Amino acid sequence: MSQSSLEFTFDDQTITAISGQSIGAALLAANQRSLRKTRFNNNDRGLFCGIGVCFDCLVVVDGVSNQRACLIEAKPGMKVQRQVGSDA
Amino acid sequence: MHNVVIVGGGPAGLSAALAAAAAGAPVLLIDSNPRLGGQYWRMPSDDVGQQGEQHFDLETGLILINAVKARKEIEVLSGAQIWSATHKDGVNTLRVIQNGAEKIINTKNLILCTGAYDRTLPFPGWDTPGVMTPGGVQSLLKGHGVLAGKKVVVAGSGPFLLPVAAGVVKAGGEVVELLEANNSARWLLSPFVMLENVGKLKEAFYYVKTISQVKVRARFASAVIAAHKNSEGNLESVDVATIRGNFKIKKVRNVKCDVAAVGWGFTADTSLAGALGCKQIVAKDGGVVVSADGNQQSSIPGVFVAGEITGIGGAELSMAEGVIAGINAAKFVGCKVEVLKAHRKRRAKRQRFADALIKSYPIKDGWISWLNDQTVICRCEEVSVGNLKYAINELGATDSRTAKLLTRCGMGLCQGRVCGRSVVDLVASELKISPTDIDRFSAANRPIILPIPLGVLAAGE
Repeated sequence: MSQSSLEFTFDDQTITAISGQSIGAALLAANQRSLRKTRFNNNDRGLFCGIGVCFDCLVVVDGVSNQRACLIEAKPGMKVQRQVGSDA
Repeated sequence: MHNVVIVGGGPAGLSAALAAAAAGAPVLLIDSNPRLGGQYWRMPSDDVGQQGEQHFDLETGLILINAVKARKEIEVLSGAQIWSATHKDGVNTLRVIQNGAEKIINTKNLILCTGAYDRTLPFPGWDTPGVMTPGGVQSLLKGHGVLAGKKVVVAGSGPFLLPVAAGVVKAGGEVVELLEANNSARWLLSPFVMLENVGKLKEAFYYVKTISQVKVRARFASAVIAAHKNSEGNLESVDVATIRGNFKIKKVRNVKCDVAAVGWGFTADTSLAGALGCKQIVAKDGGVVVSADGNQQSSIPGVFVAGEITGIGGAELSMAEGVIAGINAAKFVGCKVEVLKAHRKRRAKRQRFADALIKSYPIKDGWISWLNDQTVICRCEEVSVGNLKYAINELGATDSRTAKLLTRCGMGLCQGRVCGRSVVDLVASELKISPTDIDRFSAANRPIILPIPLGVLAAGE
């Protein structure tokens, strides 16, 4: 099985993903558990339901906020940022 | 002849598509995932590679998926999310987003196979990164080849905890604890059903064997009642309690872990059926499901429903219902075909097993005693138990709908999918009343199926 890999960034860090993995899965494999800070209490949140139901794993992808890390496939060169509050 | 339009590419949707196509009907299968299989047969990309050891019965899934792909009567729309559905004058209108563009589908007949997601209960610290649903942990394993953590606690209630614990073991993780809140002896309540469904017992034994090979033993009458974070904000440990039959706490100890997979069975995803106006009912476990007649037809003629949305019952029941729904939908569009007695018998047997499941794994409202005023209830809007109590005791809310309006509980991006059911129970408990069906329907329904960017709306019609 050929595992073609790709790279994207999470804030300043370079993350390696296998092609077809979600941003969330690749980040978890890189031991990045906290994906955002909440709007009101500034609490850390990460992957919870893993299937697009809970909207807890929100990240900023190429400047667009409120993207579900568990659903969006990682692509080469993507700029993913930890979401702080409701926007970047 | 019109298309049979099917929503959902899991066990029910795949079975329905094949049955309808075999009867001669052209099929349009709309699936939100990038690859067919649903949650049960979640398929990874070719590069990630098939995670065969994560499945009990991958063969059946692959046979169905390949058969659907091979049938030229079936057109598959993958990665297609439905954000709005309406029903008017016998026509159902679905607004679908695929690759950022909107498609509008009008059809007189539909088969909804939208499945279910993990039921969760709130507890102190459940919003800590590292606390996940068992389904989430499994989807990472099956779909992405990623193990969520090194030291995993699997807890909650229901048979689904077994495959998740077994999956962690197979992937090389440590299952620190496997905790079932109910007592194992509850299965003795349904002896006939057990004998009749030997296949399900074999499946359970397969998981138990995997787990016991690494010396993990399930503890019963035990639950995760709180989670604690380390200085980096990630999960460090959970409080594990032995609990009474009513889920009230007896004794607590602390267990170190980096992931806690906690789930309490499943909640049917009735959003789409609800938006169309299909009649819903409250199932024995308090969950809202879509009402179906013996032909798997909903209260709307031409709209059929199959799988978990008609009541939680597992993949085999979903397949049995899917076949019947597919045949009847084909009949609805003019095909000469009839449901066989064998189809109905198969469904009935699996339905009895599903009923026994609900009886064996009840969720008792003692879980409410695990919470304190600071516990987050609505994760999206960060509403606490204290906020909810204030709305009831100081602002005078006397039902969950009013409490929701006063606190924004359940009004965030997930639209109450995660907390809705628990809020209904909490509000009723605080008021010392029983929740009404109206409370439950209100928590299960939402005007927009999926929040979408305004740009998509602006680009439409």
